[in-house]
Amino acid sequence: MYADRFGTLKGISRVQTGAMTTCPECGAGLTLHDSIEVGEIVDCSTCGTELEVVEENPPVLDLAPELDEDWGE
Amino acid sequence: MKVGLLYSRIRTDEKLLLEELRSRGHEVKKIDVRDQQFGLSGSSVDAAELDIVVDRCVATSRSMYVTEFFDSYGVPIVNPPDVASTCSDKVKTSLALEEAGIPTPDTRVAFTREAALDAIKDFGYPVVLKPVVGSWGRLMARIEDDHAAEAILEHKETLGHYEHKIFYIQEFVDKPGRDLRVLSLDGDPVAGMIRSADHWITNAHRGAETRVLDINEEIEDLVRRASDAVGGGLLGVDLMETDDGYTIHEINHTVEYKALADVVDVDIVGEVVDWLEVKATASDNGAAKMAL
Repeated sequence: MYADRFGTLKGISRVQTGAMTTCPECGAGLTLHDSIEVGEIVDCSTCGTELEVVEENPPVLDLAPELDEDWGE
Repeated sequence: MKVGLLYSRIRTDEKLLLEELRSRGHEVKKIDVRDQQFGLSGSSVDAAELDIVVDRCVATSRSMYVTEFFDSYGVPIVNPPDVASTCSDKVKTSLALEEAGIPTPDTRVAFTREAALDAIKDFGYPVVLKPVVGSWGRLMARIEDDHAAEAILEHKETLGHYEHKIFYIQEFVDKPGRDLRVLSLDGDPVAGMIRSADHWITNAHRGAETRVLDINEEIEDLVRRASDAVGGGLLGVDLMETDDGYTIHEINHTVEYKALADVVDVDIVGEVVDWLEVKATASDNGAAKMAL
């Protein structure tokens, strides 16, 4: 029931839709979805690197931390 | 209410929770635990301004300690440190379930390769070897013969961390290609799903197919008792079906609910926030002003 929730809720946009930034790994341009959150992970569509949102407005990305052994539920 | 959300990674689960809290007008303070310091009498977070704290740390080790600190500061925390301590450790979980008389897979723990091999042979093959702390099915081994057992035990001994030398050996439960996950709030089942896979590990995180679980009376009773056994809270209780009924093999204290929310009609996050509101109201946050 939440599949399209982020696209339908009103008033939750933390960053304007389609905010542009660049991948810190490969330098390619990235268009971010709306309602981005600091701490969220996005993938660079060009190089595939996992990136962490470290600032929202304007958006700033950094390389995401590697998966740790104790991560999970 | 003002809610502190402890995190180091915002997954869809956390986004759903944030959106629900904000949509109800609650003030949310996102607390990236990587940026904080936690002292004995206070932290870099002003705990006194928070009505309740929700631990959504993806790292179990961080979850263990931050819950201890916020509990010490007198802030209501979901889940409390005793629950985190029990659920994050498979040995403690198994013992809690056994003491409560709840069906759980037969388990032995050994501290040397030789003793572990003896236990494995006693169980017979196949048998399961799990890390005492771990999630998402990582480093779990279904062992089929002596050769594999010897190799895996040797490998675990050389992994470095002492936890890998705590050999948690469990009977293999020949489940029917699926296990069951029920999300509960202080024992009340909110919703459940069936996780099916061809692989013997049926975590949704590993791509298991999911569909709605009809929670019958037996499951409801077991979930309530299992929740009580580990201290209650917001939990993900995992069950398997056997010829003799259900058995509970795991209880998750920082439960992920995205996969569940996708398959059930229940407003999972709405229910969680309803419950948080009651918890925050019921608790008198007596935290002193403890900002460092």
